[in-house]
Amino acid sequence: MIWAKEETLPRQEIENIQFTRLKETLKRVYEKVPAYRKKMEQAGISCEDIKDLKDLKKLPFTTKQDLRDNYPFGLFTVPKKDLVRIHASSGTTGKPTVVGYTRKDLQIWTECVSRIACMGGATSEDIAQICFGYGMFTGALGLHYGLENIGAVVCPASAGNTKKQIMYMQDFGTTLLVATPSYALHIAEVAREMGLDPEKDLNVRIGLFGGEGMSEAMRSEMHRLWGSKMTVTQNYGMSELMGPGVSGECLELCGMHINEDHFIPEIIDPDTGEVLPPGAKGELVITCITKEALPLIRYRTRDITRLFYEPCKCGRTTVRMESLSGRSDDMLIIRGVNVFPSQIEEVLFKVPEIGAHYEIVVDRKDYLDFMEIKVELADESLLDSYAKLGELEKRIKSNLRTVLGLDAAVKLVAPRSLKRFEGKAKRVTDLRKM
Amino acid sequence: MIRQLSVFIQNEIGSVAQVTAILKEHSINLRAIASFDTPEFAILRIVVDRPDEAKKYLIEKGYAVTVSDAIAVELEDKPGVLNDMLQLIANEGLGINYIYSVVFRRNKAPLIILNTSDLEKTKLLLTDKGYSVAEQEDIL
Repeated sequence: MIWAKEETLPRQEIENIQFTRLKETLKRVYEKVPAYRKKMEQAGISCEDIKDLKDLKKLPFTTKQDLRDNYPFGLFTVPKKDLVRIHASSGTTGKPTVVGYTRKDLQIWTECVSRIACMGGATSEDIAQICFGYGMFTGALGLHYGLENIGAVVCPASAGNTKKQIMYMQDFGTTLLVATPSYALHIAEVAREMGLDPEKDLNVRIGLFGGEGMSEAMRSEMHRLWGSKMTVTQNYGMSELMGPGVSGECLELCGMHINEDHFIPEIIDPDTGEVLPPGAKGELVITCITKEALPLIRYRTRDITRLFYEPCKCGRTTVRMESLSGRSDDMLIIRGVNVFPSQIEEVLFKVPEIGAHYEIVVDRKDYLDFMEIKVELADESLLDSYAKLGELEKRIKSNLRTVLGLDAAVKLVAPRSLKRFEGKAKRVTDLRKM
Repeated sequence: MIRQLSVFIQNEIGSVAQVTAILKEHSINLRAIASFDTPEFAILRIVVDRPDEAKKYLIEKGYAVTVSDAIAVELEDKPGVLNDMLQLIANEGLGINYIYSVVFRRNKAPLIILNTSDLEKTKLLLTDKGYSVAEQEDIL
């Protein structure tokens, strides 16, 4: 089902809407936010210089640092009395980034999430268990209101207490699961330890996953653990832009449809800042064109992806963004080679003898970078001999070498000995920075 | 033949004790134990009185465990006996994967546990030549 007619407009019409809204937003931020006005003046550009959508590239970027510099409310275009909600990101380094919403912002957010929930197969019949942590994060409340809006029953279970989560699933007959992909895998793992087969003993038929990227290998792992019939989609968003609801996968699974009447996407070369043509891989930059409280202009998401403009088989005409291939800021440079953790994950998930959890440690030994990847042994039949375990390590190493073009040490560890995550997984430790 | 457990453990302080603590908790009696000084992980081989139960308890605690067959041979306690048997196996073209012995046997002959490239063939060979090959009941 398609939630809104805006998802199926002809390209020209989408662009007309985008341009009108961009002009209006730009005028507003220029007038209301000194930091934006200063940036535009420094770049020697005025609102009048933006004569069509192509001129968007003339505008300066906004970065996470701008949000920090103007902490907490400096980039808001409305006075505090017009706000009705505040969220914040985790802020692992320094101050968190704070975002605000007016009443209209919340309505649009709810609308956007309803759209992506429908893309992923949700209906008013669903019982949706939200296993994102509630609190300052946008994930849980975003999905919460979007799913309520389509008429689903929302169970705000939050993250953690996994056995209780499974009890709710059994007792309430949960049909739809909202979680990070890594937590969803963990829930299935715990269900199996409790002697349940998620496919037969639980009723979860839809997974709406987000908060972190999901590779194709992870999707297969999800099917293996939750059952082949589960509809597994991912969606994308970030608190700076709104929260979840920026884009989501439809059942065709050919990229995440961006809600283009609210967000204008661009792909840039992360090093030069130059806009790349459709289909090219680069950093996603998003401009918010309907937000009242915090409409970011050309926000650098740091996420690496591609955009496809061909209309989708599902009937939607909105642009699709590919699954994230990584973040420009979590790219590791190891002995001069660029490595994205997602590439490592792709290799690991294709090895059936190991589990879905892993840890990457990068360090420097004798002035040389050194990467070690810890994986959990899952196939106990290999315990017959050291040779079989050694062969497994060797095979993983050689697969990694083929994909990454460099050697990594592989360390087999006992099942369930690596850390499990209830929210976004943090699997990379770079000791070179410490 | 007897049944032995192979448990994946990490080379960390206390990792063998963690396994034996679980066996102790369920009053499972150890008959033999072997592990070698490998750098990162090890396969701990153990022979116990109730192998299937032991496997279940260990898996519940998150261990990767497998139960497999091994040959247990009674040997007379005198010089050269082990060598004779090993020669016999080698002459038959069978390879030994690993070998260890039972720790304690109340006045019975020592028991050597081994895994070879062909367990059935090794067992036939040894019984043929008059060796006493123990079964799981014999080690209780």
